[in-house]
Amino acid sequence: MRNNFRITIIILFIGLSGTAQKIVRYDLYVRDTIVTFGDKPKHAIAVNGQIPMPTLTFTEGDIAEIYVHNELNEETSMHWHGLMLPNQYDGVPNLTQMPIKPHTTYLYKFPIIQHGTHWYHSHTGLQEQIGMYGSFVMLKKTNDPTFRKGIDDLPTVPIILSEWTDMKPENVHRMLHNASDWFAIKKGTTQSYAEAIQQGHFKTKVTNEWKRMNAMDVSDVYYDKFLINGKNESQLSHFKAGDKVRLRISNGGASTYFWLTYAGGKITVVANDGNDVEPVEVDRLIVAVSETYDVIITIPADKTAYEFLVTSEDRTKSASLYLGDGIKQLTAPLPKLKYFEGMKMMNGMMKMNGDLDDMGMQMSLNQMDMNVVMYPEITGELKKKGDDKMENMNMEGDKMNGMEMNKEEMKVKDVDKKKKAGMNMGDHKMEGMDNQYDSNALSDIVTLNYAMLKSPTKTNLPKDAPIRELKFELTGNMNRYVWSLDNKVVSEADKILIRKGENVRITIHNNSMMRHPMHLHGHDFRLLNGQGDYAPLKNIVDIMPMETDTLEFNANVKGDWFFHCHILYHMMSGMGRVFTYENQAPNPEIPNPKLAQRKLFADDRKFHFMAENDFATNGNDGEAMYQSTRWSIGTEWRLGYNDHHGYETETHIGRYIGKMQWIMPFIGFDWRYRKMGIDEQERNLFGQTNTKDNRAVFSAGVNYTLPMLIMAQAEIFTDGNVRLQFERKDIPVSKRLRMSLMWNTDKEYMAGLRYIVKRNFGITTHYDSDMGIGFGASLNY
Amino acid sequence: MKSLEKTMMAILLLLSVVISNAQIKNAKTESVKIYGNCAMCKATIEKAGSLKNIANVDWNADTKMAVLTYDPKITNQDEILKRIALVGYDSDKFLAPDAVYSKLAGCCQYNREAKVPVKVDAMSRADKSEHSEMNMSNHSTTTNDQAVNQLKSVFDNYFLLKDALVKTDGSAASIKAKDLLSAITAVKMETLKMDEHLVWMKVLKDLTADAKSISDTQDIKKQRESFKSLSKSTYLLIKASKPTEVIYYQYCPMQDANWLSKENSVKNPYYGSQMLSCGKTVETIK
Repeated sequence: MRNNFRITIIILFIGLSGTAQKIVRYDLYVRDTIVTFGDKPKHAIAVNGQIPMPTLTFTEGDIAEIYVHNELNEETSMHWHGLMLPNQYDGVPNLTQMPIKPHTTYLYKFPIIQHGTHWYHSHTGLQEQIGMYGSFVMLKKTNDPTFRKGIDDLPTVPIILSEWTDMKPENVHRMLHNASDWFAIKKGTTQSYAEAIQQGHFKTKVTNEWKRMNAMDVSDVYYDKFLINGKNESQLSHFKAGDKVRLRISNGGASTYFWLTYAGGKITVVANDGNDVEPVEVDRLIVAVSETYDVIITIPADKTAYEFLVTSEDRTKSASLYLGDGIKQLTAPLPKLKYFEGMKMMNGMMKMNGDLDDMGMQMSLNQMDMNVVMYPEITGELKKKGDDKMENMNMEGDKMNGMEMNKEEMKVKDVDKKKKAGMNMGDHKMEGMDNQYDSNALSDIVTLNYAMLKSPTKTNLPKDAPIRELKFELTGNMNRYVWSLDNKVVSEADKILIRKGENVRITIHNNSMMRHPMHLHGHDFRLLNGQGDYAPLKNIVDIMPMETDTLEFNANVKGDWFFHCHILYHMMSGMGRVFTYENQAPNPEIPNPKLAQRKLFADDRKFHFMAENDFATNGNDGEAMYQSTRWSIGTEWRLGYNDHHGYETETHIGRYIGKMQWIMPFIGFDWRYRKMGIDEQERNLFGQTNTKDNRAVFSAGVNYTLPMLIMAQAEIFTDGNVRLQFERKDIPVSKRLRMSLMWNTDKEYMAGLRYIVKRNFGITTHYDSDMGIGFGASLNY
Repeated sequence: MKSLEKTMMAILLLLSVVISNAQIKNAKTESVKIYGNCAMCKATIEKAGSLKNIANVDWNADTKMAVLTYDPKITNQDEILKRIALVGYDSDKFLAPDAVYSKLAGCCQYNREAKVPVKVDAMSRADKSEHSEMNMSNHSTTTNDQAVNQLKSVFDNYFLLKDALVKTDGSAASIKAKDLLSAITAVKMETLKMDEHLVWMKVLKDLTADAKSISDTQDIKKQRESFKSLSKSTYLLIKASKPTEVIYYQYCPMQDANWLSKENSVKNPYYGSQMLSCGKTVETIK
């Protein structure tokens, strides 16, 4: 009797603990720290003393209680990436909550209503770049009907990928906005004229500049180190032959896409963005910024550690994880990119007005990767120099033929396009053309693309819900580092109103030259990838240039949800939108919505400063600029060492117009003083006299960027004088040598050379019609 | 003055010969095993392992032992051995990537003793049948098997050669052409069917000559030139032998030349990546 009673109690207890929600508490202490990931000790932010932040593990059905203790002297926040939760805990400062003030504690408390591999990171400023990222794993309940034997019961390793730069991220951001090519120099991707000639791509380079493009690259920032769970190289030696391991991989990098390859054979992808997919075997995959993938790998033999290689998309560097114990089996590194091939491809796609032309290919879902033209492992290795000359000449001829043929084919294509607008790809010839960029058709290497992802369960949205269609065009301007949606940054656009219950369908076309991982907060969306009812659920979609993707989701949680490009520097430049629900209750975490909005908008309204001065034997020559998304305040000066050479400054305040920002009307102020110098021109080309000797005038004018990146400037001064000026700065002559040329209707001219020694330092020589020849050193910030 | 210079040179030379690590600071010397075969291996290993003023590698082809001299403050043994493994040479710490090893010249393909054999049952080597290349290379020269069409190995090798040309890989093409050559010589003419025999007699000379000239060079231009007439001969042959699978006869207008393929989609062996999809199928052989 008594025994029976005890048993009932025990059963009761088990029953209870099975249904009761378990509270799982984590305490996160955010502190400043010093790390040496690169060459020198540098400032970083650690949580609980570690980078990456600790892995947080929950089981579906738990309640998460996460205390964030901000011990920094600055604000912070924590965003739970890919989680479906009440809006006020989403962790976007000034949108869903106020920032966590220094030396305060903030509680995030929300139920765990999903499972899968996700991650978390700071959403404040650029903190994500310096250590604030970590894995966030939610396990299935063991009685979950979707529990997959052989997948969900495997040993699991959470992995977070990231990158490190010894530079301050604020400085990285500033340099990107000032089109510094220092990163290209560090990466060896200057694509100068000398290199172009060497590789037989002079024409490509000229066409490139004719279409007003700078050197091309697949990523913007040079990084010193790439890290897997905070280490460049590490080993997990407890695995034996025959073991299968599930890696839960999140890309916590701020701006780096990572290639994954494995020395021990194929990689089986079993989940993406925290949602299960039907297992698919591939040789490699690229993980977009902020995406997550669960993959299964097998250890093929004993006494061997197999390299799991993580390579940045620009292939400058990599990080390795060895799985197994013993001799290390390496996997072949990804060969260097063929940049000039990429440039040629870009030239073909770029229209003169700065739009991209997909030539009717209707690209989507990463299937057609234009970058394959740069991948030696797919499209063949770069021809080496030093072959005998005759052969080189032949190859030249060959190439020419190739180009002509391409043109011909394109004509055919155009005709084709006209014939059947909005066509399908049934036509045989078309197929051939498209294969040109389909890496899976071009080689034996199987590369994952979105079309291969299939959900194991039906993912249809509620059938009878009203549908709201939205269209976005991803727009951008590499030269000025402006990134936007429909040419509007966050602060220039209204929030997008949606209604609870409706199905929102978004079509996104990428008309910019970079790929963008677009991330939606708080919802999983279906990516319409041809899998019908089994379209995969994701919360990030990577969209390559010229691609168009369609996604849809059911609007089911009220709140303000951020939708943005997850490349940190693009997001901070304003590439995003806010979705908001009609008639929603105010967010208790935002006491003053106006103030919050102003602070949110401050991110992309920021001005970026740059300055340079050339200390030369014949005078000082320099400029300073203070620029935002649309505005530019700049001043140039030429200061001689005596009255003969003279002193002059020109200040312009202007606003950039248009998507490509080639036009900038401005007003300005001009001041100069000098005693008749070397160049005694007093009349300009229009016959107007020009008192250069002592002059203080206002002006109005316009800048226009001509093909070949020549800046044309027309200016009219309050004294009636008119001036037309042509200037081309920073022509990349060789890897580190830059040339500048200038001429104007005041019959002034200048030619200069600068050799870039260090990030902030160069050696210069120039000839100036006012000041003669000079040599010097230039400093720039 | 000049003589001084000369003596200095001599001393320097001597120094660099006797202690080749004269410039390496804090030099540490270790002896490790690196697998390899020949003098060519030696050059590759030493070039990959050595870094000016940081590390020096001296490998002995007979003993397979390498003397590593390096500055332990800057680098370490693992870094050196990893670099060497990445150009194709195993040591007791690192195994070269298989893809890199297989690209080594024939004379350099040493015995990979360090590699632990893969547990076959462990590997879910899903059927690779779609990657016909894997299967074919296994029986590329098994011509004695009477059950198989004797000419099949000739055709198979032809397709492998074509694939190498599609990839613009001159050295692979040369190797495949060699295989093709041995497949051709292995054909027992007397066992061929009547109509096959007739064509065989007609094309044998050209076929052999073209295959030989492709195998003799690594120059992709010359190889592609020879491939034109090789394709013509193979076309005649394949027409006569009535293949079991569908073969596509394709045409490149730029080169005014044909080739054979197992796939209908165009992958042009005369241009490779530059113009991969140029051309069209002109005949389907069943």
